[in-house]
Amino acid sequence: MTGLLRMIRSHGLITEPALNPPEDMSDAARVDDVFGGSIQVRHVDAGSCNGCEIEIGSAFGPVYDLERYGVRLVASPRHADVLLVTGPVTRNMADPLVKAYEAMPEPKRVVALGDCARDCGVFAGAYGVQGRVGDFIPVDVTVAGCPPEPEAIITALRRLSGR
Amino acid sequence: MSLVSAGLLLVAVAAATSLVVGVLASPLRRARVSAGLTCVVGLGGVLAGVGALGGASWSVTARNLLPLSEAVFAVDPLSGLFMTLVGGVAVATGIYSAGYPRTEEYAGGPASRTVQMALPMFAAAMVAVPAAGNVTTFLFLWELMALASLVLVLAEHRSRPEVGRAGAWYAAMTHAGLLAILLSLVMFSSATGTESFDEMGAAASAISPATRSAVFLLAFAGFGSKAGLVPLHVWLPRAHPEAPSYVSALMSAAMVNMGLYGVLRIGFVLLGGGPQWWWMVVLAIGCLSALYGVLQASAASDFKRLLAYSTTENLGLVFVGVGAAGVFAAGGDPQLAGLLMIAAILLTANHAAFKTVLFLGSGAVLRSTGLRDLDQMGGLARRMPTTAVLVGIGALGASGLPPGNGFVSEWLLLQGLIHSLSAAGAPSVAVAIAMPLAVGAVALTAGLAVATFVKAFGVGFLARPRSAEAMAATEVPPSMRVGMGVAVVACVVLALAPLAMIRPLERVLAAMPAIGEREPVHGAAELHLSAIAGSMSPLLIALGLAGGSLLVVLLLRLVGGRQPRRAALVWGCGGTRLSPRMQYTATAYAEPLTRVFDDVLRPEHDVDITHYVESRYLVESIRYRQRVSDRIENRLYPPLLAVATRWGSVARRLQNGSVHRYLAYGLVGLLVVLVVVGVTS
Repeated sequence: MTGLLRMIRSHGLITEPALNPPEDMSDAARVDDVFGGSIQVRHVDAGSCNGCEIEIGSAFGPVYDLERYGVRLVASPRHADVLLVTGPVTRNMADPLVKAYEAMPEPKRVVALGDCARDCGVFAGAYGVQGRVGDFIPVDVTVAGCPPEPEAIITALRRLSGR
Repeated sequence: MSLVSAGLLLVAVAAATSLVVGVLASPLRRARVSAGLTCVVGLGGVLAGVGALGGASWSVTARNLLPLSEAVFAVDPLSGLFMTLVGGVAVATGIYSAGYPRTEEYAGGPASRTVQMALPMFAAAMVAVPAAGNVTTFLFLWELMALASLVLVLAEHRSRPEVGRAGAWYAAMTHAGLLAILLSLVMFSSATGTESFDEMGAAASAISPATRSAVFLLAFAGFGSKAGLVPLHVWLPRAHPEAPSYVSALMSAAMVNMGLYGVLRIGFVLLGGGPQWWWMVVLAIGCLSALYGVLQASAASDFKRLLAYSTTENLGLVFVGVGAAGVFAAGGDPQLAGLLMIAAILLTANHAAFKTVLFLGSGAVLRSTGLRDLDQMGGLARRMPTTAVLVGIGALGASGLPPGNGFVSEWLLLQGLIHSLSAAGAPSVAVAIAMPLAVGAVALTAGLAVATFVKAFGVGFLARPRSAEAMAATEVPPSMRVGMGVAVVACVVLALAPLAMIRPLERVLAAMPAIGEREPVHGAAELHLSAIAGSMSPLLIALGLAGGSLLVVLLLRLVGGRQPRRAALVWGCGGTRLSPRMQYTATAYAEPLTRVFDDVLRPEHDVDITHYVESRYLVESIRYRQRVSDRIENRLYPPLLAVATRWGSVARRLQNGSVHRYLAYGLVGLLVVLVVVGVTS
């Protein structure tokens, strides 16, 4: 316990200061004000290399702290407002991805994270890949990058939560 | 001709007629006649019982009916109560049994001549046992009841071998119980010098306390075994699942009450109450039975075995009430004793009603699907809607929650036990320790009973079918549904208007000299307790629940009707579609309880993993088996059976089959008798 308190005292606050709100918060990219400041996000890995997942983990960590913008990860799509999809859609995950989307209640939005989700990235044409996320479910926000930086993830999700 | 004599005459005529049922050739007609005779016996019993409860006392002596003695029949309000209970169960069971044998089964089993002759005889013997007025008549009718029930338990022994084993256990234990009762009554009778119950009761105060205690304890052992109390309960979970379901209903809802009748008759009426420690023993055994029974029932996945252990649990609760009533009657607080006795008797009546429904329902399921295993049932509410509704009402009563009928009696019992310390003035140390422990035991039992019956009804009837047999279920014939309906009507009446039953019970209390004329519960639609501050209205509770549910449904319709709806699949983690086999099974539902109470239940687990031939890293199939056996049977009975077997093999040396040796025994015996006579004269 004392070691923890000593560490807190010596390290201080490591969280990055809050970023400026994204410039185009008032246009179609902000989708609409339907979520009222908080979104529950369910992540689905449709076949990624886990690079995007590490960046998502870092975005929710103590340095970038995505939760202060009203974003929360949930386990069940029944509880989710936003579906966060990474990776190209592989053969085994095509059906579960569509099922997860259909299990979400309205209103719902989809974020395609990373180059693979956007257009299959480096895995385009591979034998196990069936297509990009937009071929299976309607995508509302796309985040480019391989992997995208945590700031890009934060910007995309802030557009949806409105904070 | 009074109501009592008319009723008993009906019973006798129907029993005599049942002997000629076997002559009829057509199996269908035999089934109907046998069912009709059982109903007549039941109606006779109800008539006689209601007449006796109304205050009419009746007795008759028949000189040459029985060997060695005369047959005396004497009916008082206590007998009348039990005759009514047995009669009601017999009516419901009789109607049910008309439709039970399937057309293709007419060769044997429940449709055999012996079984159909024995059914009305069993019901008649059970109705007549409380009417017996002296020791010989009582023992004769008791043994007739036991033999008739044994024939009925063995009904299906040709098609299944375990029926024979169950019959052997039942026969041995019922006769061991008979031995204890015989010893007790013979001791009592020889100490008072008379055989008639009335005279024995009058002369009981003159016997020495040691003899009185011996009589009571032996009688409690014998009658307690019949009632299914621990540790003499082992025949119940063996015999009830193997008997045809209407026989199980008769045995579980009516015959076990004969054990209660015996204890009440000998303990309260004939021996006049007795010292406190007798009833402490009864209370302790009652608590143990209630807890052990409900634990085993909560772990059981065989529907009928669950119901059999539930009988042990309910009779345990009844004997908790009886024991506590006896403690306070001996301690000089007859008002509280009367309340607890009313609670115990009401609990018996409620148990008779809902246990009949549940066993008849299990028979309906068995007939329709061939299943007794809850883990394979399911989805029956859609396929057998009437049966599901009726069994649901019975399960609600069995779980002891309002608005079910078990709730009123458990409330009365708990009120009596909780307020016992304040109402009894300065209680002794034993009472001050025993009553809170009894309250704890009753409360734990009630909670576990809820879990048990939610499991039984939810896993057995609701959700989707877990096997092909359950999917192919169809509704049962109308006679079976009417039989269940009769019992459900009794459940509903007892649930909403228990005072209709409580009024006549006050006359039963008057018949017990230890308690005397009391009015522990009064009121019209609401139950008011006289000795302690407490009142409850089951009718208002039921109306409140119904009104509240209606309100919620209307609100949901009004508010939710405006939202758009979409039909979607159940979320199954995105994987393959859920199959009904992935639903909770009864074993899974009971697993937390089995784990918490594993010191008592000692479940045995067996896991069988089959790997692929090509690679030991890949699993082809996993098989899991759990078995919860009766721990009391495993610990207590093998030593006794070993002693009996050794005794039997010693006797084999005496009786080795040689006729010469037997003749020698006869010769030597005769010589010894001659010498003794010669010497002593």
